Amino acid sequence: MSDPREPIIRFDHASFGFPGLIALKDISLAIYEGEFIGIIGPNGSGKTTLCRAVLGLLAPVEGHLHIFDCACDELRCHHRAKIGYLPQKGVVDRNFPVTVLETVMMGRYGALGLFKRPGRKDRDIAQQALAQVGMDSHKDHSLGQLSGGQQQRVFIARALAQQPKVLILDEPTTGLDITAQHNVIELVQQLHDELKLTILLITHDINMIRSRVDRLVLLKTRLFAAAPPAEVLKPEILHQVYGKDLVITEKDLVIVEDYHHHH
Amino acid sequence: MLDLLAYDFMQRSLLAAAMVGGLCSVIGVFVVLRGLAFVGAGTSHAAFAGVTLGYLMGWPPLLLAIVFGLATVWITGWVEERGRMKLDVSIGILYTTTMALGILFIGLMKSYNAEVYGYLFGSVLSVTPEELSVIGALTVLVLGLLLLFSKELYFIAFDQEMAEASGVPARQIFFLLLTLVALTVVVSLKTVGAILVFAMILIPASTAYQLTHSLATLTLYSATIGIFTSITGVLISAFWDVPSGPAIVLLATTIFFIAVFFSPKRERRIRLVHSH
Repeated sequence: MSDPREPIIRFDHASFGFPGLIALKDISLAIYEGEFIGIIGPNGSGKTTLCRAVLGLLAPVEGHLHIFDCACDELRCHHRAKIGYLPQKGVVDRNFPVTVLETVMMGRYGALGLFKRPGRKDRDIAQQALAQVGMDSHKDHSLGQLSGGQQQRVFIARALAQQPKVLILDEPTTGLDITAQHNVIELVQQLHDELKLTILLITHDINMIRSRVDRLVLLKTRLFAAAPPAEVLKPEILHQVYGKDLVITEKDLVIVEDYHHHH
Repeated sequence: MLDLLAYDFMQRSLLAAAMVGGLCSVIGVFVVLRGLAFVGAGTSHAAFAGVTLGYLMGWPPLLLAIVFGLATVWITGWVEERGRMKLDVSIGILYTTTMALGILFIGLMKSYNAEVYGYLFGSVLSVTPEELSVIGALTVLVLGLLLLFSKELYFIAFDQEMAEASGVPARQIFFLLLTLVALTVVVSLKTVGAILVFAMILIPASTAYQLTHSLATLTLYSATIGIFTSITGVLISAFWDVPSGPAIVLLATTIFFIAVFFSPKRERRIRLVHSH
């Protein structure tokens, strides 16, 4: 069934990587405005590659990728500023000498363009973004003094300060305790509901997101599924990707080493 | 002391030291935060090779220093961007190669040239009015560009990929930073010398890093420390008749260790250890 809406991100038989080392092959996928997409798959399945492509950091070696109606290798700086990004934990030096407000202000730099200095308006947008993630009272704190969960909130605020249409989060709950994980996912859900953002969320924690996302994208070098969670989380589909039998219970998802023996 | 300050050469020296100290310490903030410390060392030795070739061939030494310095940083940046080699490996190779060229060019000179050694070890007290003009012009140029692109430079120092993803032309800004490092090294050659310029880029920024959690304050502290140590180092050099380069660098190093000892970050680390 074709969707009458125009997608804001469209992969058309796109492959990414280098000759002889293809990270993602023959991806055809349309993402629509306001969708909440969960991207799942085993380690090395191409999840981060998919997101880097949407960020305009990787051009397809075959096929096409269009973002906001632009070919991704023609993505201009002002287009990129419409995509907020929370990188994987560990990519950024969390002890960098920077305050919380300075970190969030960086979200304004792309949209401002060269030669322009951030003004009062940009400061207000950054403070509003901090308020949206509940960190406005920490604006003068050092980033390194915050807990892992608080730092993730600040980085989400940095992405929000871009006033993005699309928000990409690469494993935002990794390394956080259970409460902080839950709080971060709750925050993402809230931002999706209130700001109508298109969200691409990479995660290994299927349970945490399966009741929240509109669609799950299941990757393992190829695209195995892109459908509502109930259609993707079927043992026969998951077995193809994870190489293990997965049992889905009413409330939980359990990896069973030997499914047949289990029965 | 005041008598000494009345001499033209002393006034030129202090002005040159203040400009070089301020410039090195400001660009040092970006070098330290972006993890380019070794690039500073490699560039200074490459620039020295350019100076020696200039004296050997009778060409303008500072112009060749700029050519050698820029070639080194651009090759290093290009290699890192392509992911072909780690940055420290490529700069290590260029560092030693250009130093070998410098020694070769000195060996090919028919007579001993004291001016060449001035560029190696620094001789701020012998800065000429013409050299002061070149230092002044390059200082204004580099500081102006640093100020103009400061927000982008801070962002790429924090995370270059995130900056690029946010719409900042991060690649171009990275090459601009490398270019400014090379120009800074050339500006500083005559004052602190090829061997010690690296310390002037690294030490004030590393000292300031111990004292603050804010980017803006870090830059301000670094510039203050850089200018103070350079001027004081020249005065020490003049009064006690010791070489200026080592006087500046050893003073900066002393302040660095004092900052490490009294660093609020250190106190916090100690508290964290005791609380566990």
